[in-house]
Amino acid sequence: MSCQGAVNPKGARKLHDADVVYLYDGSFEGFLCCVYESFAQHELPFAVWTPQRETATLYPVKDIATDPAVARRVFASFGKKLGAETEYLVSRDFLSGQEDKELLLLRFLHLAFALGPGTVKREGHPVVAPLYAMKKSLDWEVDKFQGFVRFEEHDGMLGAVIHPKNYILPLLRPHFCGRFPEEDFMIYDAVHQAVLLHEGHSTRLLELAAPLELPPPSAREQQFQALWTQFYKTLEIKARHNEKGRMTHCPKRFWADMVELQGEL
Amino acid sequence: MEQTLMDKLTILADSAKYDVACTSSGASRTARPGTVGSCYAPGCCHAFTADGRCVSLLKVLMTNCCSFDCGYCVNRRSNDIPRATFAPRELAELTMEFYRRNYIEGLFLSSAVLGTPDYTTERMLAVLRLLRGEYRFGGYIHAKAIPGTSPELLQQLGYLADRLSVNVELPSERSLNLLAPDKGRHSIFRPMKQIAVSGAASREELTLYRHAPKFAPAGQSTQMIVGASPETDYHILKLTEGMYHKYGLKRVFYSAYIPVAEDTRLPALDTKPPLLREHRLYQADWLLRFYQFEADEILDKDNPNFNPYLDPKCNWAVQHYGLFPVDVNRAPFEMLLRVPGIGPKSARRIWHARKQAALGLDELKRMGVVLKRAQYFITCRGFSGAHPGRGSAGRERITRALIDPNVFSGSCEQLSLFSPPAVDNLIGQGVPPRTAVRMVREEAVQCLAKAL
Repeated sequence: MSCQGAVNPKGARKLHDADVVYLYDGSFEGFLCCVYESFAQHELPFAVWTPQRETATLYPVKDIATDPAVARRVFASFGKKLGAETEYLVSRDFLSGQEDKELLLLRFLHLAFALGPGTVKREGHPVVAPLYAMKKSLDWEVDKFQGFVRFEEHDGMLGAVIHPKNYILPLLRPHFCGRFPEEDFMIYDAVHQAVLLHEGHSTRLLELAAPLELPPPSAREQQFQALWTQFYKTLEIKARHNEKGRMTHCPKRFWADMVELQGEL
Repeated sequence: MEQTLMDKLTILADSAKYDVACTSSGASRTARPGTVGSCYAPGCCHAFTADGRCVSLLKVLMTNCCSFDCGYCVNRRSNDIPRATFAPRELAELTMEFYRRNYIEGLFLSSAVLGTPDYTTERMLAVLRLLRGEYRFGGYIHAKAIPGTSPELLQQLGYLADRLSVNVELPSERSLNLLAPDKGRHSIFRPMKQIAVSGAASREELTLYRHAPKFAPAGQSTQMIVGASPETDYHILKLTEGMYHKYGLKRVFYSAYIPVAEDTRLPALDTKPPLLREHRLYQADWLLRFYQFEADEILDKDNPNFNPYLDPKCNWAVQHYGLFPVDVNRAPFEMLLRVPGIGPKSARRIWHARKQAALGLDELKRMGVVLKRAQYFITCRGFSGAHPGRGSAGRERITRALIDPNVFSGSCEQLSLFSPPAVDNLIGQGVPPRTAVRMVREEAVQCLAKAL
């Protein structure tokens, strides 16, 4: 069975590349409505944009309204027809910061609904492989930030600032809430203007309108930061110095938010 | 003069940094209400030092005042260095404050032998009890078992810590007697066995009673120093395999010996740490744990040391060239794992993907197979194996694809960390580094091609 031909089983209306741009509100529900539209029209749009990414274009722009009922229906079909693994992959990949993620996901979903639940296992397929590449970059960043988030204490509240490429706060949530159930803490994502707030045993994910500024650290806080920086510097074994090794594991883009490395920038 | 916390931390972290193990893997739990801290099974790195090593735990010694006199160790009795000791509460508080700020994953507590092994362990236990009891700390704790500790104390340590470790230090009894006269073979393997037995008993109990106390749920590890004594790589690898089988160890760590003391029994102070050898040992260790290899397949009595220019897996493949090429769409999983350029991850991907449709070269490439090396060892849909050409030219082409790039990489000013001894010798004779690397590389290619 050829992989490419299988997208259009006999008798089905032909999927075609449409000269149209989808515009949706950027939410996962909105994206699911784009999926609905794409399947209803049997078309692959030229691009899928959110208001932030909208630019001038000659193609007609189709506004996709977010309808929770439609979104629920589409999402339910993932689990039912494509299996839990596909559902997981698609919802996780949606958090990726890659520009054309919606289009890649749409292409994959058209293939998956044609070929069935096994499609997700074809990691070498040209349409499936980009999804795994996105997932890899996302997982890598989540893994790194679980370690690299640095809290500062301000009046009993722990606060941290991060600059991730992907929208990872929802994925950091179970890790940090499962770790500090008794603490009040917040993680501020300065790139996506969002805050993960854990206060009095309840957690909220907030979108901010204006940038947030943390107050300068107190004297007690500075003391712990100095202790940590000193500990970090002491650990290096000079005979094995390997700057490149450090850079592969902890690229410089993380350094500005890590207290022990700010001095080396 | 009173030492500040900063002084103590500096001294005791500096003394502990030669311990290689800094992993926080193997235990998994989330914090219950009222407690602080969780464990994440794959482990978590919180920072990377300038030598590229991961910082996961607050790795310190309880004290560096030692009554032993081991030749290879910075903290030996006869060495003149500043000494310090943590008070239990001081250390427990520091751990909690670091942990809350997400600097660390937990505590790695080791110690020099202060007075007697039992007294030292009591002090370590005091810290662990404070953390687990008063501070309700649920994060990761790695405790080092001090050789010579009584079994009762070790048992208590195991119920408080996630991982225990006993350092083998040197790969043979002879070296141990020579360099660490205070530690006998017995004082190392007895606790190792006790940890293995207690761990197994605890796991069995857990299947019967859900709330049975856990004994070192993340298992045990060990480390040994490579290059301080004359053992061969084969000897070290056999010892490693034996410990994995017999004591169910989670990890064996190797540390290239860095001269810290002038001693006639040890390599001279200007010896470079054998980083390439350490790297090869780790590669072979991975083959044992994840690639279903056995030590006797990797090395044997006639070839007791690693080939500096080929990684152990390529070396095996070259010596068993007759078994290849294999068809990736049909080969059993064990055989896929043995193809140079295919690792456990890509092997698993191939295993799943080939049930959906036959795989070609493009698919393999997208799945992360390194075709530069794999092409001479596989066939797949639309590809019947790369033909390097006949005779010596062909053999040379294969060798060039397989030769370990890490050894010869690096710019003209800075050599690769793993530069082989032959290159260093040439540079010592006054040959410019770049020329030396090229000469050794050419010679290695010719030599390996001839053997193919």
